[in-house]
Amino acid sequence: MASYYKKLRADLEASAGAGIITPEQAAAVYDRVYGARPFAAFRAAHWIGAAAGLFVALGVILIVASNWDKIDAPTKMFAFLLLFAGAGEAAVRLDGKPAAAVPLEMVWFFMPILGIGLYAQIFNLSGDPVKPYLVWAALAAPAALLSRRPFSAYLCSALLFFTLYSGTLSSNSILTLTAARLADEQPLWHWALALAVLAGGTAVFPGRKLSLPLGASVVWLFVMLLADTAIKIRSSALILLSGMSLAALWLTWGSEPEDDKAGLALKTWLGAVYLTTFFWHYKGDEYVNRSGADTAAGGALAWLLFAGALLSVVFRPQRLLPAGARDELAGKVLLTASMLCSFLLFDANEATAKAVAVTANLLLAAFGTVSIMSGTRDSDEKQINLGVAVLTILAVTRFIDIFGSMLRSGMAFIVTGLAFGALAYFVNKGRKALIESVKK
Amino acid sequence: MNWKGNPNYLRLVLGTQVLFFAAWGGWLFASRNTDSPEFYLATEPVDPRDLFSGTYVALNYEISSPRGGDCPRRTRDLGRLFVKLEDKGKKAVTAAGEVPVYEAVDCHANPPQEPGWAKAEMIYRFGGPVAMYGIERFYLNENDPRKDARSGSVLAKVKIDRNRSLVLLDLVEKI
Repeated sequence: MASYYKKLRADLEASAGAGIITPEQAAAVYDRVYGARPFAAFRAAHWIGAAAGLFVALGVILIVASNWDKIDAPTKMFAFLLLFAGAGEAAVRLDGKPAAAVPLEMVWFFMPILGIGLYAQIFNLSGDPVKPYLVWAALAAPAALLSRRPFSAYLCSALLFFTLYSGTLSSNSILTLTAARLADEQPLWHWALALAVLAGGTAVFPGRKLSLPLGASVVWLFVMLLADTAIKIRSSALILLSGMSLAALWLTWGSEPEDDKAGLALKTWLGAVYLTTFFWHYKGDEYVNRSGADTAAGGALAWLLFAGALLSVVFRPQRLLPAGARDELAGKVLLTASMLCSFLLFDANEATAKAVAVTANLLLAAFGTVSIMSGTRDSDEKQINLGVAVLTILAVTRFIDIFGSMLRSGMAFIVTGLAFGALAYFVNKGRKALIESVKK
Repeated sequence: MNWKGNPNYLRLVLGTQVLFFAAWGGWLFASRNTDSPEFYLATEPVDPRDLFSGTYVALNYEISSPRGGDCPRRTRDLGRLFVKLEDKGKKAVTAAGEVPVYEAVDCHANPPQEPGWAKAEMIYRFGGPVAMYGIERFYLNENDPRKDARSGSVLAKVKIDRNRSLVLLDLVEKI
């Protein structure tokens, strides 16, 4: 990203030097674009301040953790309460001075876990490993939400998602969702609490960029479907259907600013389709079926996710390809096909699995080609590069995966290289035609 | 109304946080302030680790797998359980002399209102049900030699608080 701003500055200066625009206009354009970048509101001093607060908080935690057994318990507790109140009050009073407020906010954020650790040390507390983190998040969230700066909110959201993942996958905690032993189901309120933590992590995440928390939620749900939980699914068809549906949901609902690309959600969808290409080597469901069959709840959820994803793809603007009416249909077709190909696995055998793999290969090839065409049309170099990268990775994988022998792979590489050469020729021709049409 | 950065709301949050810790600390002190007898339990230290609270010795107990009375039947179910702890004549020698080591003699889901019943939580761990009493960690200074205690070399000095929870008071070396 930094290289983009460097290049922009160089281009603007060159344009000003060539007399196309005035130096003032060049500076104004650069300031406008640079000011709109992510985290533009934070100066370097703020980041250094956040790091300072983080180090001080961790240092205090370590000093307390060294266990000062010469000091009696009430004195330690009173000193902690004074330090807690002092750090918080200082953060409130110095709110207008970021150089002081940012480190103090960091210290304030870590005070609850410092207190929990201190009390555990004094009273020899032990038990559920997840509870301290939940209490920490619950105590820190209101201050994080009220803060004018997003640092505490980012940390709090990360803390909640960390607790969600570690707690639901652990064997003995109030968030545990995996079966402790065969036929032992976790109580329903564990699910309610896990969903509340998930909602909390999403709600606390600052700003309107929901792509990251949505992605973390989608991945968590998929892990829960794969793990030994009450919603486990074990058939390849349902695993693929729910995985593709979740990827499509993330891609469709991960609301980004209009000028932003789909980013991580797009890469996840591409990764999911890429992994599907390996169904070529499918030998049956024995491995995944070892830990039992699909649960009714898991099956119902998989179908619900598919229905939601399908409706979202049909009625929401697609984000697979750059926004624009011309690629809307292509994007929707690719997304829908990626989900529908899992239907071939409902009567899973080696022939249908190979059909799924071929479909996935075709989807990636189509995505790569449409990306290159779209990028050429819109003069979007990044989009062209993405399309070329997808086609290259796909080709290299298949050559090694399928052809096997060096002679055949070598021939295939040469043929693909020639195809890329032809593609580059047509892309360049298209760009020239576009420039000519603009000149006219 | 602008909530962001409002000093009154932020002070309200800070006050709630400090009050939470003050109340929790007070409750912990009050629940442990009982005249119930202190006794010893045989321990099997596992390994010391570091976390937010510092160095501690992770402890397993003989009473973690209670066997007396109704225990074999009742420990099959996970969840809340009460274990009766009694002196059955087992002894150990410490710097303070010979001390009785208590054992689990019975288990019940709803025990009678008499002393000696300790609250436990049955969980499933390492292939079998285990009773957890909330005394599985003993925190100590990072230079304390007891952090390297070997299995069977230390006793846990405990008592039962007002809420029938076991409270870990000390880790005593056997002679």
